[in-house]
Amino acid sequence: MNVYNIALREIKSSLREPRTMLFMLAFPIVLMLILGTALSNVFSNFTPVDNIRLLYSNESGQPQLTQYWESFSQEMGRQGIDIAPIASGQVGREQVREGQYTAYVELKADGMQLYGSSKQSIESNIAQGMLTAFADRYNLAAAAFRSDPSKAEAILANAGAVTGGEFIRETSLNPNKSPGSIDYYAIAMTTMIALYAAISGSYLFRGERTRHTAIRLMAAPIAKGELFAGKVIGCTLINFLSVLVVVLFSKFVFQADWGSHYGIVFLVLGTEVVLAVSLGLGVGYLVQGESPRAVVMIFTQIASFVGGAYFPVESDGSFMGVLTYLSPLRWANTALIGAIYTDDMSAAWQTIGLNVGIAAAFLLISIVIMRKREVL
Amino acid sequence: MNVLEIRNLTKKFGDFIAVDNMSLNVREGEIFGFLGANGAGKSTTINMISSLLRSTKGEIVILGRSIASDVQFAKMNIGIVPQDIAIYEDMTAYENVSFFAGLYGLRGAHLKERTEEALNFVGLGDKQKSLPKNFSGGMKRRLNIACAIAHRPKLIIMDEPTVGIDPQSRNYILNSVKQLNRMGCTIIYTSHYMEEVEEICTRIAIVDHGKIIAEGTKEQLKAIVTDTKNVWIEVRGGDHLNINSVKHIQGVLSVRLDDHMLKISSKGEINNLNLILQQLIQDRIEIRSIEEQAPNLETVFLTLTGRNLRD
Ligand SMILES: Nc1ncnc2c1ncn2[C@@H]1O[C@H](COP(=O)(O)OP(=O)(O)OP(=O)(O)O)[C@@H](O)[C@H]1O
Ligand SMILES: [Mg+2]
Repeated sequence: MNVYNIALREIKSSLREPRTMLFMLAFPIVLMLILGTALSNVFSNFTPVDNIRLLYSNESGQPQLTQYWESFSQEMGRQGIDIAPIASGQVGREQVREGQYTAYVELKADGMQLYGSSKQSIESNIAQGMLTAFADRYNLAAAAFRSDPSKAEAILANAGAVTGGEFIRETSLNPNKSPGSIDYYAIAMTTMIALYAAISGSYLFRGERTRHTAIRLMAAPIAKGELFAGKVIGCTLINFLSVLVVVLFSKFVFQADWGSHYGIVFLVLGTEVVLAVSLGLGVGYLVQGESPRAVVMIFTQIASFVGGAYFPVESDGSFMGVLTYLSPLRWANTALIGAIYTDDMSAAWQTIGLNVGIAAAFLLISIVIMRKREVL
Repeated sequence: MNVLEIRNLTKKFGDFIAVDNMSLNVREGEIFGFLGANGAGKSTTINMISSLLRSTKGEIVILGRSIASDVQFAKMNIGIVPQDIAIYEDMTAYENVSFFAGLYGLRGAHLKERTEEALNFVGLGDKQKSLPKNFSGGMKRRLNIACAIAHRPKLIIMDEPTVGIDPQSRNYILNSVKQLNRMGCTIIYTSHYMEEVEEICTRIAIVDHGKIIAEGTKEQLKAIVTDTKNVWIEVRGGDHLNINSVKHIQGVLSVRLDDHMLKISSKGEINNLNLILQQLIQDRIEIRSIEEQAPNLETVFLTLTGRNLRD
């Protein structure tokens, strides 16, 4: 009952704070509109594959691989990709560096080497994706060959003829369904605003202290646990509510695509709010004085930036690329795009697990510090 | 019966001793005044009584039960009016009182009745639906009290409930305190307004540096200073005054200069006024008036501590 009353009060207070509600609702919606329309051409035409020129050398000396490669390159040719064997006197890497080719592939007995152009990073990423698919398929066949050569033939034959287009498809999300700009920003802004729950989290108990109401709460005959649970639940619910409103608004007003798996979408968003609130709370306890707000603000800004809130991020192995993986937004965005556009729930479950795990850690830290402290 | 017993209570913040081995009893039906200068340790003591702070040492007993053994019981029976106004500005007066009373287990019709009762008691019955944002300082102070009394505690602790408000609200609050007392509440009242304490408190403790340096009824406290004499001399050109030279005059116990008022207390049996005036004339200080003070709590405090209550 106390938990319910405390949570209810938290929600009431938030609903009456017009500035917060405006920030949590109007801000993401307006950004969605601005970014979604301003950057729409980034999304509308995906890099055409006919820009891709691939140079290769085959020194493997393996007839099987050579045969498979031939059928692969024929198929690629039909898809509009230029594939040429290296001429004598040419140095593959030089050709790529000079921009003659997107990438250079060396087929050797012990594997495949790819030199991609740094100037055409998107194209060379696509080439890399194709070759990875090729290698996977070949390895599968090679493994099969050892046990049952006839099956291997089938796998290889299949690869070239029937599912030829798959090599390219696997590099983009889905040829038929991929997010347009408003769809992308509907997701990105929603996950961003969910992360902003960290700000109210950081203020959850400090707010009681500055209003001095902490004194009354601590003097009342309620358990600290009840107080803690009530406030965290209230804060989570109200933030989730505003996320919900943003989702519905973007769906019905902007016609953004939220797919058909609402359960998992809201589970990802819900656990992200829980993560954000706990994170803010934990920082509020760990950092002294007035700085928690600043710390949380900076964190959410950086996480938004690298996590793809303002523009889609590519992870390319660089420092920034690695950094993006640390952003909860990146997890959430990947999870939602996977669930919405490819019906792939694996990233979603991973993200939900991560969110819940990290949230639990921060809640635990907060509880331990709260129990030790005399004041709230 | 003792509503509150404090035994050897100590509170340290690091090396700093805020409350120093304090012992004290408050009996049922008293309005107990807690008088002390800034930083004397009043709030710290009160916070330990209301289990907001843990004591470093010592015991606190509420209505016969130690708070260490039954903190819930203590909390149920205490209502606290914090020094700083502690209300939610974005919730109506009614919602504030009702929320806090709800934490004490009041529900439903009972909760509604007690909430209205508390608001009416502090004169905010017609402001139930208003937000405290729009309240005057005095109204906020009254709401601050209402939030502490709706659950009908036996012991109400008020930490400077009249700071910074208009005389009208102040009178209202002082009358409420008396009325709460008539209704059977025991009250601990902290203030550094001497006149308030003198007006409403039945017993008073003077706190200084975390210790109780005197305790009793006002008459008992004033009796402490009957063997001292207090003279206030209004001077001009007090900047040249050498206070030390006055201090060394025979019989002088303490001297201090507030604005143009030179406040001197001396041993009652010694007549040193002539010597004091001679010294002032010699220092070329212009004397504008001389007044002998009847003992009051201020002079008691001054005599005991050598300091003014409000610095
Ligand atoms: N949390 C704390 N940490 C360190 N020192 C503290 C803390 N709380 C109070 N003090 C110190 O303890 C002393 C007593 O403070 P307290 O608030 O009890 O005084 P007070 O008598 O209520 O004064 P006032 O009239 O200003 O309210 C002060 O010197 C104060 O600085
Ligand atoms: Mg105080």
